[in-house]
Amino acid sequence: MAFEMGPETRQVQGMWDISTYRYRMEGGGVRLLTEAMKEKRIKGVRCNECGMVYVPGPTYCRKCFVDIDEVVEVEDRGTVMSYCVELADVRGNPRETPLISAMIELDGADSWFVGAVVGIEPEEASVGMRVKAVWAENPVGSLSDIEYFEVLEE
Amino acid sequence: MRNVAIIGVGYTPVFVSKRKDVNIVEMISESVGAALNNTGLTPDDIQAVTYGNMQTFEGVNLPHLWTSDHMRALNKPTIRISTGGTTGMSTLQAAYYYVASGMYDLVMAVTWEKQSEGDSQVGLSGIVVPEAMTMVQHGMDLFSGKGMGFGGGGSTGAASYQAMSYLHHSGASPEHIDKMAALERSNAALNPYAHLRKKTTVEDVQATPMVAFPLRFGHTCPTSDGATTAIVASEEMVNKLTDGNVAWIVGLGSATSDPCTANFLEGQITDPAEQMPAKIASEKAYKMAGIEDPGRELDMCEMYNGFAHQSLMWLEKLGVCKEGEAHKMLDAGALNIEGEMPTNASGGVFSTNAIGASAMNRPTECALQIMRKIEGGHQIPKKIKKALSHGWGGMFQYVTVMVLADEPVSS
Amino acid sequence: MRKVAIVGQAQVNASDVGKSRERMLFDLCKGFYDGMGITRHDIDTFVLCSNDFAAGHTISNVFEDCPVGAYMKDETKVEADGVMAVTYALARIMSGLYDTALVVGNSQGGSVMRPYLVMDYTMSPTYDRQLGLLNELSSAALQARAYLDAYGLGDEVLDRIAARNLRNAAKNPDAFNGKADATPESVAGSDKLYEPLKQDHCFPFTDGACVLLLAGEEKAKELTDKPVWIRGVGDSLDSYYPERNLARSKSVKLAGERAFKMAGMNDPAGELDLVEVSAKFASQEPIICEGLGLFAEGSASDVAVRGLAEIDGAMPVSPSGGALGAYPLCAGGVTRVAECYKQLTGSAGDLQVADARTALAHGQDGLYLQHNAVMVVSTEEG
Repeated sequence: MAFEMGPETRQVQGMWDISTYRYRMEGGGVRLLTEAMKEKRIKGVRCNECGMVYVPGPTYCRKCFVDIDEVVEVEDRGTVMSYCVELADVRGNPRETPLISAMIELDGADSWFVGAVVGIEPEEASVGMRVKAVWAENPVGSLSDIEYFEVLEE
Repeated sequence: MRNVAIIGVGYTPVFVSKRKDVNIVEMISESVGAALNNTGLTPDDIQAVTYGNMQTFEGVNLPHLWTSDHMRALNKPTIRISTGGTTGMSTLQAAYYYVASGMYDLVMAVTWEKQSEGDSQVGLSGIVVPEAMTMVQHGMDLFSGKGMGFGGGGSTGAASYQAMSYLHHSGASPEHIDKMAALERSNAALNPYAHLRKKTTVEDVQATPMVAFPLRFGHTCPTSDGATTAIVASEEMVNKLTDGNVAWIVGLGSATSDPCTANFLEGQITDPAEQMPAKIASEKAYKMAGIEDPGRELDMCEMYNGFAHQSLMWLEKLGVCKEGEAHKMLDAGALNIEGEMPTNASGGVFSTNAIGASAMNRPTECALQIMRKIEGGHQIPKKIKKALSHGWGGMFQYVTVMVLADEPVSS
Repeated sequence: MRKVAIVGQAQVNASDVGKSRERMLFDLCKGFYDGMGITRHDIDTFVLCSNDFAAGHTISNVFEDCPVGAYMKDETKVEADGVMAVTYALARIMSGLYDTALVVGNSQGGSVMRPYLVMDYTMSPTYDRQLGLLNELSSAALQARAYLDAYGLGDEVLDRIAARNLRNAAKNPDAFNGKADATPESVAGSDKLYEPLKQDHCFPFTDGACVLLLAGEEKAKELTDKPVWIRGVGDSLDSYYPERNLARSKSVKLAGERAFKMAGMNDPAGELDLVEVSAKFASQEPIICEGLGLFAEGSASDVAVRGLAEIDGAMPVSPSGGALGAYPLCAGGVTRVAECYKQLTGSAGDLQVADARTALAHGQDGLYLQHNAVMVVSTEEG
């Protein structure tokens, strides 16, 4: 029987292998931060032109386009600028308890970073609530030295 | 300045989650063929091609090189544009500039995505792999969500921060997101080129599981296979080739800020709901189009909304209404197809998302609405004189804007 | 049509620049702005040129915007050779909507990834990638053999071409792969790769970036006394499939014809004072030059023996050392335009072509010179 061409598709593998890249990243700002965290402190970098304080600190100011390197310490408490309630982790696996993941502007800083707020129910969370870092008993100079944030009664 | 118009549009016959019956090149040529058929042009008439998709989503580099053989574009000038979610409109804008510059008179803009042949989550996480890995080296825990770092949930997680910030500042409630979602999905049900085509009620949306509060599964876009081609022409060509029923590109703009949900390493300084680039790009486009009061002068909007809260947000950020007013327009029915400011009559990206084509489908929808060539049941009844289309992408940082009109601005 | 000029350039190339991509771009752009006496706010539109697979980043421009100064500015990205990015910036200014455009190309093929791997991702995913027979080097070798055989030339002609480029590159402060004492014999003695290609025939793995500032007529004259006018552009995409005559390039020919027509040139070989071509492999140089009509077909040996392509020859080819001196992938095409700018402003130092007034830059993408783009630039406004 002759071979007949018909509608037929098949799938074949093709891979984009990210592990073959040897990225070179700026690490100074994160190192400054984690070294401070060893002492339960938080440090960033201020731009001398606009006064913007970044945590972790970059090597230049995005607005003013100048090199920046003035190290400043900021508070370990701050304000929730936005949040969401995660029901699954990055792989999509369900969490046992919902996690309030908040964008927090620390007092003295102008940038935001993300941390978990623990100790309240999701429906109690709000934009604008004040939070404080809860530190590991024995910090080692890791981003996980701040274990989570708790609501600050002021 | 030369007047430039969209004279024809070609879609793949459908936008669905898996086009198993065609491969990438066949899918692209469907839309190229449709655009040529709809304009009565032959491949030889096309002087240059602009081409865009999000290549890491399929894991293929510079696909214009091996797809052009099949899209009737050989031996032509060809430029590849890629800017993330905005790729579709960025590619159309390149076609605009090619014609507006006087370099060419007839340019074809080809955009596509075949998300079923790749892994969108790999594609998306590829945006920040080295940044995230640097943070992991410094002790960030990707999975527990505790400690400092970034939250989970992929792009939905990041969008949830934006949605919450938007709700807080606008005074809209999560129910407004449900309502917008139901409206757009119901619009999509009328659109033969939409992916998720099911008449949807607010209750249907509310019955979907929460992904990352305030966003539910029913607030998120699908991943689609599809392609869109637009043919862009100079005024001279419009007069020569058409009956004059075309959509003029009368204003455009694009702007960027910073990767505002991914600056782990360098301090995140931008509220993902602030979206200043939308203001920068739209003000420029309105000025060019001679629009002083967008809310009054525009007849319709097509927003890039990967998530259902965004249509409301963009109406405010693009100056169509004041901050905090969009949900009131929704409640008043103004955003319906028959309303004063029909918004995403197509169903939006939220209902159909072949990413490379998504920001192209906004202006092509506007063009077809202006030309009254909409297939299906979502033709806006009133005459459309000026329409706003919008694209969004990058890591929450890019905005493109294009204003289309039934007549050129300087005539 | 609106006249547009190049008013400034800056570039960095190294086998390992020793900086993150972001810092490399910031340092280059900051230095460029300061040198020009402008700020990032003087740029109306940014046209970036990079590649997701070269960067190892989806949407490669996400983290490139801020370090080039595009924060809250108009920006777009071309994902193709740099000559296409310059072409797009030209179109944007010609439209009348912008007065200035900054083109920024970059890649870190020296330290971050292996450029040949990027070409693997560029091949057809359902056939060539599955077979795994073809790669950038083997395809270049196939084309080299096709060219040599078509005209009965010996392999040594490639050695001569490479030696000239490597010697020139040694005098170019913006290149890093120069070899002052390169000879056809030293090239012939370099590592064998794919027959007939040897290591010294091939572009070096490069970390690099290049910026070019373009401006409309009035603004250009404000910014510099020595504007270099863009007189013509052209590009053409050939078939992906190699079932064509690989010894010649129809795409180069069409691209050249389009650019010459736009520039109003009837006798390109007579009117051009030099060309800067992106010959990633020495074997591509004669195919490109012959496609442009600068030399007779199959004349590579004659050109080499008579020194026609030398800096003091009849048609200097890549006096900068070309792609063999440095080739930062998609930024490579921007670099070729920048090298033409240096020549036409008399700032090419030891590599200066005497009385250079009109030049051509060439860039390419794909296997076997599939997509070619050229740009004619001149000190004369036209």
